[in-house]
Amino acid sequence: EEEFKWLLQEEVHAVLKQLQDILKEASHRFALPAGGAEGAAKQESFVLSTAGTDQVKGVLTLQGDALCQADVNLKMPRSNQLLHFAFREDKQWKLQQIQDARNHVNQAIYLLMKRDVNYHFKTGSEVLKLMDAVMLQLSRARNRLTTPATLTLPEIASSGLTRMFAPALPPDILVNFYINLNKLCLTIYQLHVLQPSTTKNFKPAGGSILHNPGAMFEFGNQRYEVSHVHKVECVVPWLNDALVFFTVSLQLCQQLKDKISVFSSYWNYKPY
Amino acid sequence: MCVWNVASGQCIENTKLPYRHTAIYYYHCSFRMTGEGWLLCCGEYQDVLIIDAKTLGVLHTLSSQSSDWINCMCIVHSARIQEDSLVAVSITGVLKVWELSSSLTSIQERQDVCEKESKSLDCLNCQAIRFCTYTERLLLVVSSVCWQVYDYCDFSLLCTEFSKSGQCFAGGEVLAAYRLIIWTEDGYSYIYQLLNSGLSKSIYPADGKVLKETVYPHLLCFTGLKENKSFPFVMGFLNERKEPFYKILFSGEASGRITLWHVPDVPASMFDGSPKEIPIAAIWSLQDNFDKNLSMSEGIIDHLCASKYGIESAVVTSSVYIPSLDKLVCGCENGKIFVTLGLKTVRARLLENVSLKGNLSHKVLNGHSSRVTCLLYPHDNSVKFDPSWLLSGGQDSVVICWNIFTGEILHQFILQAGTVIELLRSPENFKFKDHSIVCCVCNDHSVAILHLQKKECLLHARKHLFPVKKIKFDPVENLLIVGCEDDSVYVWEIETGTLERHETGEIAKAILSSIEDSEYLVADALLPISQESKRNKNPEYKSSSSYKLGMVSYNLTHTEKSSDKIMDNSLIRQPFTVLPVKTKWNSANFHILLFDLEKLLELLLSSQLCGLKSSNSFHNLDTIERAKSTTEKRALTLKRNKTAGSISTVDGQVDAVCANQVSGDTNAVRSLEESGGIKRQKKMKSSRKIRMQSSGNIDVDIATDTAKLLLSCLLPWGVDEEIDNLCVRHLDILRLQCPVSFGLLSNESHISLMLPGWKCTDCGVLEEHTLSNLFSNRVFDLSNKYLAATEGQTETKEEPVNNTYGAKGSETVIFLFNRIALINRIINMPSADTSEIESSHRSESVHDKWRNMEAAMSSFSSFYGELSSKTSKHHSPDFRRGSLLKLICCWSDQSIKIIEAMQAVLLAEVQRTTKTLRKTAVYREPLAIVENGNVSALKHGKSSNSANFQDVEDVPDRCVLEESESPDDMKAHPWISKVCSCKVC
Repeated sequence: EEEFKWLLQEEVHAVLKQLQDILKEASHRFALPAGGAEGAAKQESFVLSTAGTDQVKGVLTLQGDALCQADVNLKMPRSNQLLHFAFREDKQWKLQQIQDARNHVNQAIYLLMKRDVNYHFKTGSEVLKLMDAVMLQLSRARNRLTTPATLTLPEIASSGLTRMFAPALPPDILVNFYINLNKLCLTIYQLHVLQPSTTKNFKPAGGSILHNPGAMFEFGNQRYEVSHVHKVECVVPWLNDALVFFTVSLQLCQQLKDKISVFSSYWNYKPY
Repeated sequence: MCVWNVASGQCIENTKLPYRHTAIYYYHCSFRMTGEGWLLCCGEYQDVLIIDAKTLGVLHTLSSQSSDWINCMCIVHSARIQEDSLVAVSITGVLKVWELSSSLTSIQERQDVCEKESKSLDCLNCQAIRFCTYTERLLLVVSSVCWQVYDYCDFSLLCTEFSKSGQCFAGGEVLAAYRLIIWTEDGYSYIYQLLNSGLSKSIYPADGKVLKETVYPHLLCFTGLKENKSFPFVMGFLNERKEPFYKILFSGEASGRITLWHVPDVPASMFDGSPKEIPIAAIWSLQDNFDKNLSMSEGIIDHLCASKYGIESAVVTSSVYIPSLDKLVCGCENGKIFVTLGLKTVRARLLENVSLKGNLSHKVLNGHSSRVTCLLYPHDNSVKFDPSWLLSGGQDSVVICWNIFTGEILHQFILQAGTVIELLRSPENFKFKDHSIVCCVCNDHSVAILHLQKKECLLHARKHLFPVKKIKFDPVENLLIVGCEDDSVYVWEIETGTLERHETGEIAKAILSSIEDSEYLVADALLPISQESKRNKNPEYKSSSSYKLGMVSYNLTHTEKSSDKIMDNSLIRQPFTVLPVKTKWNSANFHILLFDLEKLLELLLSSQLCGLKSSNSFHNLDTIERAKSTTEKRALTLKRNKTAGSISTVDGQVDAVCANQVSGDTNAVRSLEESGGIKRQKKMKSSRKIRMQSSGNIDVDIATDTAKLLLSCLLPWGVDEEIDNLCVRHLDILRLQCPVSFGLLSNESHISLMLPGWKCTDCGVLEEHTLSNLFSNRVFDLSNKYLAATEGQTETKEEPVNNTYGAKGSETVIFLFNRIALINRIINMPSADTSEIESSHRSESVHDKWRNMEAAMSSFSSFYGELSSKTSKHHSPDFRRGSLLKLICCWSDQSIKIIEAMQAVLLAEVQRTTKTLRKTAVYREPLAIVENGNVSALKHGKSSNSANFQDVEDVPDRCVLEESESPDDMKAHPWISKVCSCKVC
């Protein structure tokens, strides 16, 4: 019983402090503009690269959770024509995944801050509950980064992203940005229009992170088929750091939970 | 997202969207909107979603410049501004305003709707925003550290009040003009008066600045809780819409407690100006409900222990119902395991009959030293396992393999890995060297694989850092694939016990899903929810009853699925299941009895009419089809248990009594089971064969008993003493010991349960103890209406019946049961159909609805027709069906609850049938009429019971004879059904 008291009063707070430190570090990685100074978030540029061919080249500039510049060169596969497109000066593209992950981390920190050193934990289940809540936020944060949204092609075609470019994207090109683990990915789909006569075996493709050539869809009364897919990506180092922090803190949480449940299984305790 | 009918407890619509909401508001603009209105939602996604309130489909989004999560919002509706707006605060503290009523059309046409105004408020973690409808200009913003009042006209700050250290504000509401209530996360609330100077007495001061400077808050009253502050509270405020128009502040706590305060209309501080405390008006917890209704909430096996020893010491910590053996196995806190007959136990527990008690056979298995945490009967879904095996796992980290028939311990596996959380059988197609294995999950996140034949532990995988979420088997390479809560995957080689791979992220997901995809690999998944609740017994953040139900609902779908599988294998299953419900409150664990009306009816009738091969098979097909096409909703009754039990080692001895009651074939099987254990393989085959052959007969008995049990639960007892007695004596429907709580299964996997105390609040007749189990007072009214509507039948019914009493009794049971099933079907039908047909034209949909109903009716009534043709030769199906149909449709339109309707019809039909009984009783059995007035003497009751039992046994044969004697009736059925559907169409 003494040991359990010690656990509740000393060990729990030590772990919570450690967690807070780690998570704060993680949240700094997200370059929060929370300090008020909007310009404080620094801009980082990344060079896109593909394995093998160099059909797509480009530079992306990331500012916090927003893509503020994108400069992409696409070498058309057949004509060898060079297609260049970039973001309009006045537009930014929010990377929803980064924003969500950042919000989840901040929620976790908020939960931890509410139970500061002065707080006196009375029961083990109270700690378990706090840990559950924190772990929920953390695993959601991590999941947002590790699992890109599965979008259907019409959804990509109708997203605001297509309107962000200057010069405007040709109608047979679709682009999509997403985060996969520590990588910022850009996929470019080249399309060709399906003739109404040849659409007997038309089968619209479902949602997917990355569509394969041959995927078909209907958009704006017109049927298309994906002819080429180009995927380029660049590693964002701080995303990697953040993911490591998430994993470490999740393990810390689970260890604390295990420590507490060891006691509870000895005593046949009642949760209330 | 689910839409529930609060009155009846049915889930009307449900959907799963990839959005996590934190707030939902209903918006309807009466004069410009068609349809049901919108649900405005915000949560862990950008901006605001607009969802159709009826179909739950996403209509549109409200977008904004700097999109982010919305923390809180409110709908501003004011006569002065002439525009409905949505005011929201984002997670970064930016206030945004969208116009609603003027952007209706653009939302309907899916054009972009951007915010009208946007302003940074400089407050993080905004908890609530409220518009003052009294002044129509103040805006209250509550964040965790402070609350602020803004002017809605120009969003200028009027006043700020910070919280005390250590306290976090959680929400607030405007009580009246310039009067606010603010509550905190730890259960306090404060009522403030906003004071302003004489200059700004007028509501619309010309110069807003003057007002701004003079508003300051004055604390009038506060509320607080004395005890137990360690759990988070959810607080809210509501204005009662009916007498006596209380203003209620409520607070819910994670342990299931709710506290109410009445906020006075004119709150005032003490004379010396210090704040006054408002006293608590009411306090109630879920546990109280169980405690107050002790008679009802005893454990499911309490009577077993109480009858012999009178001490209750143990709580049931796990239980499993084995439908194929009708055995209920309960593991207790003290390590004992009770094995009893399921239906018998339930009957003895619920019904008022002394003869049933004490006669119950049960075994006690002693082996565990501390609480039994999980049970598994592996033969249930997979015939590869020996039918005598029962596995139990305990807190002592021991898994014991029992012989369920003899009670001996076959083997003990000592794992040394903490509490055993879960026992799972390997999937049907997975075999380890031609043997089946069982896998067991322990508290230290380890997984052990047990080989039952060899009695050895093949593998104990101990590397997992996080709780185990999923377990899968790869039969080709003999791999065990373990998915953990952190989404990592461990792949173990079963033979060598080595860890082959450890993967995270996308690869882990791919490994798990690849097993799912390949068709010859079956995945056995462990549910995180049920696992969690079992492991921790630790409530989720908001442990409202709906969460609890969510857990149940999964279990339900699970059992239903498995029973479907068995049906395909042509093994007849019972339409009755006992489901344990785990709650986080140790003393409030209870069991649910699930009745499948359709299945039960099918069983009853097929057994009754087994002579009619041709028509019968046709009807069977029909009903199965119906069951598939209509969304199956089953009514169920449930029983609450305060799980408790004590040790008792009563054995055998009771079997003789059972044998008297159950037909010969069952007896054979049972004795075989009892004597078994010598040559297991042989026995397995033979017993199964016998069961297959005799299944028809077993089912007749079990089905009629089950039907009677259900009728006992549904029948409103105590309405008329005489009827009650007649029911008990002639129909063998026994009185209930205590009122039961009802529940309703809807939309396949959603369940709503009533708490044990439902009677007190619902009809307030608790004092009259004679009136038990009445759902509501409306039942009388309805049953009279029903009697009036079906008046024509009474005459035909009152004709003397040639049958003997016993046969008559069981027939009436079936007849009554028929009626219930019919009502169930009709009431459930429209809700299922209208949603489908909605898109088509109105007139057509009504038409279709009728046709559908007729189709259901025709298949049904052909059964019904057969039955009634026996009881009364001159039945007029058209008339009856029409009037009945209309009446019940009308009821369902009036949103009369299904249980009300069932009770009403049951009451009416019982009244009617007993009337005839009474008349014939004068003729034939003068003895009975003497007893009519009195409360039935025990001896008489007993003897008539035993007589009834014998009669019941004879029923099937007799019916077959009767049916074969009247071939005309038989031919007529398909014809009748055809005529009917044509007539209405």
